[in-house]
Amino acid sequence: MDALLTTTGLFKRFGGVVAASGVSLSLRPGEIRGLIGPNGAGKTTLVNLITGIYGPSGGDIRFRGESLVGLAPHQIARRGLLRSFQVCRLFGNLSVAENLLVADLARGAHAFAETRQRAARARELLDITNLARLADQPAKALSGGQRALLQVACGFMVPELRCYVLDEPFAGINPVIKDAIVELIRQANEQRGIAFLIVSHEMPVMRRLCHGVSVLMDGHIVSEGTLDEVAAHPQVIAAYLGKSWA
Amino acid sequence: MRRTIQALAALSLISAAGAPAYAAEPVVIGLEIPLSPPGDPAAGQLIRRGADLAVQYVNTVMKGVLGGRPIAVDVEDTQGRDEAGVAGYRRLVSEDHAVGVTGFFHSSVNIAVNEVAKELGVATIGTQTSAADITAKHYEVAFRTHAIDPIRVAAFIDFARKKGFKRISVVAETTDYGIGIANEMTKQNEEKNAGLTLQQITFDHATTDLTPQLLQVQAFKPDLVINVGVGQPLDLMIDQAATLGLLPKTPMLVSYDAPVRPQYWQLHPKDGAGIYFVAYYSPSQQLSPLGQWFAKAYQAKYGEPPVYSALNGFGDVAILAQAVDQAKSTDPKAVVKALETGTFKSWAATSVTFPAASGPYWHNWSPPLLILEYTAPNQSWRDAPVIITHTGTAS
Amino acid sequence: MIFTWQLFAQTVIAGVSIGVLYALMALGITFIYSIVRMINWAMGEFYMIGSYLQYLLVVYLFGPGLWYVALPLSALAVFLIGTVIEPILIKPMFGAAIERKDDYATVVTIALLLLLRNLATGLAGPYQRTPGSNLPTIMLGPLPQSGARFAAFVCGLAAIALFYLLLKKTWFGMALRAAAQSRLGVQTAGVDVLRLDQAAFGIGVALAGIAGALLAPVFFVFPTDGIVTTVKGFEIIVIGGLGSIPGALVGGILLGLVESLGAAFISSPYQNVYGFLLVLLILVIRPSGLFGERARLA
Ligand SMILES: Nc1ncnc2c1ncn2[C@@H]1O[C@H](COP(=O)(O)OP(=O)(O)OP(=O)(O)O)[C@@H](O)[C@H]1O
Ligand SMILES: [Mg+2]
Repeated sequence: MDALLTTTGLFKRFGGVVAASGVSLSLRPGEIRGLIGPNGAGKTTLVNLITGIYGPSGGDIRFRGESLVGLAPHQIARRGLLRSFQVCRLFGNLSVAENLLVADLARGAHAFAETRQRAARARELLDITNLARLADQPAKALSGGQRALLQVACGFMVPELRCYVLDEPFAGINPVIKDAIVELIRQANEQRGIAFLIVSHEMPVMRRLCHGVSVLMDGHIVSEGTLDEVAAHPQVIAAYLGKSWA
Repeated sequence: MRRTIQALAALSLISAAGAPAYAAEPVVIGLEIPLSPPGDPAAGQLIRRGADLAVQYVNTVMKGVLGGRPIAVDVEDTQGRDEAGVAGYRRLVSEDHAVGVTGFFHSSVNIAVNEVAKELGVATIGTQTSAADITAKHYEVAFRTHAIDPIRVAAFIDFARKKGFKRISVVAETTDYGIGIANEMTKQNEEKNAGLTLQQITFDHATTDLTPQLLQVQAFKPDLVINVGVGQPLDLMIDQAATLGLLPKTPMLVSYDAPVRPQYWQLHPKDGAGIYFVAYYSPSQQLSPLGQWFAKAYQAKYGEPPVYSALNGFGDVAILAQAVDQAKSTDPKAVVKALETGTFKSWAATSVTFPAASGPYWHNWSPPLLILEYTAPNQSWRDAPVIITHTGTAS
Repeated sequence: MIFTWQLFAQTVIAGVSIGVLYALMALGITFIYSIVRMINWAMGEFYMIGSYLQYLLVVYLFGPGLWYVALPLSALAVFLIGTVIEPILIKPMFGAAIERKDDYATVVTIALLLLLRNLATGLAGPYQRTPGSNLPTIMLGPLPQSGARFAAFVCGLAAIALFYLLLKKTWFGMALRAAAQSRLGVQTAGVDVLRLDQAAFGIGVALAGIAGALLAPVFFVFPTDGIVTTVKGFEIIVIGGLGSIPGALVGGILLGLVESLGAAFISSPYQNVYGFLLVLLILVIRPSGLFGERARLA
């Protein structure tokens, strides 16, 4: 099967720091891929490159056969490639319901016509996430966990979503909400065939969720496979020495 | 900007003379006028029109100064601000080597510049500045060709006496000009036992709404309101007084000649009649030959007859040119000496002198001061009846 | 000072009516800042353009009786001018090459201010003009109001209400409010922020244009007629809070009241100082303004 998302030899330099030095990664349609690596490995940088926040210094990114290099973030979003942020980027003064609606802007002009369907989708997501009773509260009133949940939920507003890149969606979140997010992801994957690239340090969750993982270190992929396979890789062991994985 | 004008002046000269006879360096006269707010740019432009025509007059009719050198006017925008005025004066003196500086319209700028001028020694002639201090300090370099506050206020009191007005609201902006008039009013009322009951209200020149002040005026129930605003507040006061019903019931006297400008009736098509205003020139007056040349040239160039600001702007540049000739030198000190001792021709029938007289009359020549009345909408100021004529003395 | 309750009531009404007009100016400034994250120093010049357009349309085309036809046209024209200027002058600010975006915006908009002002002086001369007005004087309680000023007051309130509805009730308004919170957030949600900037700049300057057009018959039209109202606009933003529409309205009315009452009953020459004192007071007790909070809109 053709790959959904491929990066080949991505380079990104920030002054003296090389945050991506030849990252090659490939994601099949409907795949849930984990991306792990120590702090500062370049994971967020890779996400930013894929979603057009930064332009790469070299290399290529292809999504559904088209190159994304040179496209603006909103153009990439409109092609069905969305993301969440490690540092939550909700619209604090907008209500919870409005945050979901804003996400739908990714669909461009034809979203205007579908007011009713949009509202129905928002209601459904509010129910699933248990945020319905907070729908009219400003998003800044939510707890940290609820915010993370809402941020992930936002992407599912977009029917055209094909690939969802999540940057540390589980960091510092209680187990109940963590499960809710996992459930959300699994459902979207099974029912809508959405592919995920999930950056996380949470190994138990990654084990439950991911079909495979890629390990990023010092700006390039050092190992790929199932979690157990990559855990056996000497470089990975060296980097994570002393850490319990399971 | 100033360079361009110099170049243009030289160019007009060459084309007028038809020969490069005036290859000589032009003699520079400085013009300090408000061309942008908070100054009154309309006044600045009118003075500049006069000054530009003076350059033409001197270079063509007088054939230049000092036996053939052209004059040029370098313009500085004072913006009605003291600092800008002082900086402009310094530039005119040190960079352009001006033989004298004129054009002044805002009193506070003229006063501030004079403090520097007394050190640098280049003469200033106030074109339309009336605060007493401009000449009352008796600086060697300070001259003026405009009605001073005491004369203006004496005319106001004459006018009130003639019309039988007893309760008078003086609504004045907080500039040297406005405050000067308001205080002089109080002073002369006492000194002359004029028996007027005065209300004094002052306001910031940048005020956009005079309704609160005018409500106070209305509550005072005056016989006459004296409008001592300059530029926009002057017009605002007319408009807002009409809205409140003060005008036309209570007559208003405008303290200077703004209503003679062509914009007046455009701005006040309905409320402009019944207004009294000061003027320094009326066509019924006899003009000097110089003044007649100017009136004709002005009409030809701008399609309208000249007003006082332009006449005086013209006169002052012409006076400086004559002073250079009489001094036989471009040395500023010699020019100052010539101004003090010489007799000059300007636009008015009487000739101009700057005697070392007492008080604010030092180095001061004042045109006659008239109070006119608009009796019908859209009336030309040339047809407005002259209510009183006050010659340039205080009593 | 003369004091009667009648006089007091009249002065209060005068303050409120001028305050609403000031508020319109503050809205435009606050709105552009919220979205594009820049202070548009040339705001007063768009007020000026609005006032001249209204003057031209009324005097040469419609006559004072049809001022309300000229008004939306003037506003639309200012909007279009804004949307043409934005991509040329403001958009480069977001290019990678420009490091100090605030400095860039300041320099560019001040240059624009000078350009527009000189252009107006060159084209129209320094004179004051007025489109004139046929509206009769209206009694607002015990205070006679010129018809033009009353119309400006009513239209000013209506413009503020419309703007509020646009932001609160429309899809586009939601995008604008979201962008005020996080530019990156809306970008990754699929919104072209650069286009949004363009629209926001157009709308913001159009608000100033409406103020200029409405006030053309009240305060006269001249090349620098926008200066004073812009200064008031900035004062109101400090009082009401950056990015808050109720803040702009309440701040405007407060400023108008303080100025009017101070001028009438304390000391007239300090009319413009009272507003400034209010600004200082607010900065001490509530630095973010009465309704203010970082990056809110509505
Ligand atoms: N905008 C930037 N400017 C300069 N350096 C940057 C920038 N963004 C990232 N870097 C640098 O690039 C390297 C990779 O950072 P990145 O945020 O991608 O790591 P990460 O794997 O996401 O780390 P973490 O697990 O802590 O989130 C780091 O050294 C970081 O300092
Ligand atoms: Mg990261």
